[in-house]
Amino acid sequence: MATNRSGTAQRPNGAPQTKVCQFKLVLLGESAVGKSSLVLRFVKGQFHEYQESTIGAAFLTQTVCLDDTTVKFEIWDTAGQERYHSLAPMYYRGAQAAIVVYDITNQDTFGRAKNWVKELQRQASPSIVIALAGNKSDLAAKRMVEFEEAQAYADENGLLFMETSAKTAMNVNDIFLAIANKLPKSESAGGAAAGGRRLADGDAPRSSSCCK
Amino acid sequence: MGVDEDGYIFAACTFFAKNHPGEMCGSNGLPLTPSSVTILGQAQRLLHLEHPNLCTYLDVIRCKHERIIVVSEVIGKSLNDFKSKFSFDQIMNIGLQVANGLNFLHKQDIMHRTLSDDNILIDNYGYVKLFNYGMHYMTKGGNEIPFPLGLPRYLSPEIILGGGGPSADVWSFGIILLELCIGKLWQNLRPGPILRRILTLVHAGNTAERIAREHDHYDAYKQVPETLRNIIEKCLKIYPSGRATFSELVHDLSALDSKQMVEVKRPQGLLGCKLQVLYHLWQLAGGDIQSELKKNCLIKNSPPILSMPIAILLDGSTIGGKTGALFDRRIAMYSLKLLKQRLSHISPHDFYPLMHERKKEYDAVTLPKIIRERDTEYQFYRLLWFNRLLHGYPHTASYIRAEAEIDIPPLVRGDVWAALLGISGDIEDQYERIDKETPTPTDRQIDVDIPRCHQYCWLLSGERGHRMLKRLLKAWLLTNPQYVYWQGLDSLTAPFLYLNFCNEARAFACMQAFVPKFLHKFFLKDNSSVIKEYLAKFWQMTAFHEPELATHLHEIHFVPELFAIPWFLTMFSHVFPLHKIVHLWDALLVEGPSLPLFMGVGILRQLRDTLLSSGFNECILLFSDLPEIDIGECVKESIIMCRSSPRSISYRRFTKETISKDPMDLIEVPMDVLFSEICPRISLSDFFSLMCQEKCCVIDIRSNLLFDKSCIDGSINVPYSGVHLAQRELRALGLRPQRAIADAVRLNKNVVIASAEHETAQLFSDYLVKCCVPRVCILHGGIQALHANVPSLFTVPPPRNNGNK
Ligand SMILES: Nc1nc2c(ncn2[C@@H]2O[C@H](COP(=O)(O)OP(=O)(O)OP(=O)(O)O)[C@@H](O)[C@H]2O)c(=O)[nH]1
Ligand SMILES: [Mg+2]
Repeated sequence: MATNRSGTAQRPNGAPQTKVCQFKLVLLGESAVGKSSLVLRFVKGQFHEYQESTIGAAFLTQTVCLDDTTVKFEIWDTAGQERYHSLAPMYYRGAQAAIVVYDITNQDTFGRAKNWVKELQRQASPSIVIALAGNKSDLAAKRMVEFEEAQAYADENGLLFMETSAKTAMNVNDIFLAIANKLPKSESAGGAAAGGRRLADGDAPRSSSCCK
Repeated sequence: MGVDEDGYIFAACTFFAKNHPGEMCGSNGLPLTPSSVTILGQAQRLLHLEHPNLCTYLDVIRCKHERIIVVSEVIGKSLNDFKSKFSFDQIMNIGLQVANGLNFLHKQDIMHRTLSDDNILIDNYGYVKLFNYGMHYMTKGGNEIPFPLGLPRYLSPEIILGGGGPSADVWSFGIILLELCIGKLWQNLRPGPILRRILTLVHAGNTAERIAREHDHYDAYKQVPETLRNIIEKCLKIYPSGRATFSELVHDLSALDSKQMVEVKRPQGLLGCKLQVLYHLWQLAGGDIQSELKKNCLIKNSPPILSMPIAILLDGSTIGGKTGALFDRRIAMYSLKLLKQRLSHISPHDFYPLMHERKKEYDAVTLPKIIRERDTEYQFYRLLWFNRLLHGYPHTASYIRAEAEIDIPPLVRGDVWAALLGISGDIEDQYERIDKETPTPTDRQIDVDIPRCHQYCWLLSGERGHRMLKRLLKAWLLTNPQYVYWQGLDSLTAPFLYLNFCNEARAFACMQAFVPKFLHKFFLKDNSSVIKEYLAKFWQMTAFHEPELATHLHEIHFVPELFAIPWFLTMFSHVFPLHKIVHLWDALLVEGPSLPLFMGVGILRQLRDTLLSSGFNECILLFSDLPEIDIGECVKESIIMCRSSPRSISYRRFTKETISKDPMDLIEVPMDVLFSEICPRISLSDFFSLMCQEKCCVIDIRSNLLFDKSCIDGSINVPYSGVHLAQRELRALGLRPQRAIADAVRLNKNVVIASAEHETAQLFSDYLVKCCVPRVCILHGGIQALHANVPSLFTVPPPRNNGNK
């Protein structure tokens, strides 16, 4: 499954026109777990050892092609420091998907991830698709969070779960694809409850609406 | 010191730092800091040492393939190059000068470890200086280099056995003195045997005598005056603890030294400048350290294929393929010919500018700052002048500010910034007292942020840089308990550390002075109203200077909360690289705390065309990955905007500045009102002075009934009730108002809206912004307030001739 750098949908000649769906996705998680690195890997295929910390939030887009649909992700990469917490609702409000990231070498970040999941379950759109990413899987030698523990937690809460590495690219595209697959894409399912997006008043990050 | 006119004045030598095998990672998962970066960080301190018996270090350069080049002052020739013998008086004098230099180093906790006859230099007048005495210090005791330190015959027994502290230098010093008396030791022996010889000395009763005997120079040794022999023997004790210290040696040798040193007058003109200045100017004039090294074959350019390893082991280490020597004892020398030619036409008079002399005007002033910074002659004049002013600080503070407004020479930027921030007093002592070590809960965040903070900069990416940044942050947090660590504080501290790498206390003092001035209350635990106010003001300034852009951004619901928080929270230090930040901050420190708002507008202005043709997504993408911004242009524009804006329109409540209680100056409104306003308000006193200077066009939007009774002299009446807000065309206002506004725009006047109710003023001013009218603001308090305070501005308009509304 290929992702497409240019950000436009690939439409092979002669093939029937594919549907283009736009989804808002937000990344949440403790500082330095690798949120920005995951996005950079997914969007530009790069990894920077010295990735700058994120203040406020950053916005990027990337398109993936499924069999019959093109999914365009509008990705909000948020700041991880607890102090910036009050800004987070501005970004996850109206999001159809979220990736909650922790660092497998640091138990505290897993705890923080659970809190994010709880907050999303309470405050975000009820139909939001949540994925849990255990990042830095290349540092398995320093692992502090067991795969099984996280898997069990994800199962209990109905989350997608993968261990990823922004450094080696392992599972990075896969987790975004898994989300794309799980997101409802039919127009009939529309409305705020499904893939479509409804813009609440005062919902700052906004753009055009979903399926066209 | 005597500098012979065409002689060499600095020299460079080169060596390789250790290569970490393969892709090794540290415990935090990040790659290990390259050795060359560590060396660069360590060496910074050496650049600041000054002592008459030490050659001043001028530069440490990191090149490809972990190569390091060290640039240093050089004089005369080395002891090794002297073929004739010295008299005992001369030896004692040389010894005293060497001991003085070493004594100074030891007091700074710096061990030489590589003292030898080829790094003790003597000039024609007999002045002695140690050369490249910092190898041990900069390589962290040799840890960061792949070759052993020091010449074998000067190594003390304990060093050979793998230990040793500063007293090893005393041993080497003893060997130097002994060689001066009886000739070179262990010549024609290879390193291995030399080291073995030295170790056999362990059993000798009197080491010096034993060495002399070994060399068949016992008689010669016995002819050395006893006083000198005593000194040599005090140095060559087998047990390090038994050896004399340099302060004792200096004491002993001073008593023996009888030589009258020739007074050498400080050279006049160019050579009288500080070496650092000369080196800097020499580089600007085209001097190139690397090319000279290549010419002298100290750097060889061999094709990469020849330097490829023969084999790479699984652990990443390599076999074979090394090129050239890891450490070359040779040095390349440089003269100032180039610089002298470049500055030859400067009259001697110009070297000594007088404080109160009329300022010279240089042609270069009209060029962009980055070009001025590379202009040899311009920098020469600027540096002379700034050094003069800095010398007189704090009395010269106002002169420094005035000069800094023109530009700041990079070489003295750290000093000038400190002066602009008003740093004085015993900052070392204050900094010393702060606890920078005790762990706190914030440490984790600081620890993960520092390795992501301006790491393209070698200084900040090294271990030393990391450690100092952490200390600075901890010290700042402890000193400001009302504040907390917000991500971004690291970036904010970085420029101060970068410019004060060897003066941590001053970096701290600058930070401590900077925050209250520019970021008052930004780092409170709850800073949301402070930031919201700042962003609202920024948005108003955008509407004031860029109405068309502001309208577009308002319409696509593009709000500053989404992109501008890092801009202002870090004063752009999280957004731009250091070489751009320094130019932004040069201006900031001179112009004051309103400037950043206009810098924000300046950035938008540069992206104007793209933004105007983009929707929400494209706009936000643009800011997530900011395109190249011309900082020189941005600074220039923002200063123009800042100076041409009435002060009160950028008023913020959260500043350190004292707020005037005079109703004429009052301008505060509740926060929710502020957030709803697109146009800024102007205070009565600013309005009054604009009126006096005829710099504003007043639009009175009351009914014509009220207007006809009494109005501001020169104002135009556009009754609000007749305006179609949806129309967005000035024409719709009628001919006279349209002309008046067009004239105001053309003449860069401010358009002030005066009304009886604030709501209508707000709606009307928004309307003008949508019509792309720049410089629109609202008279605070409206007609009533003005009438109550400055009735003299009012008049009764002449009766209208009907039909021309
Ligand atoms: N070894 C390894 N390091 C990683 C990986 N992902 C990120 N890092 C490193 O971890 C550090 C933090 O990564 P960021 O992407 O900046 O983390 P973040 O979650 O965006 O942090 P904030 O912006 O502070 O919220 C960086 O130094 C990255 O190089 C990974 O998969 N493996
Ligand atoms: Mg980030």
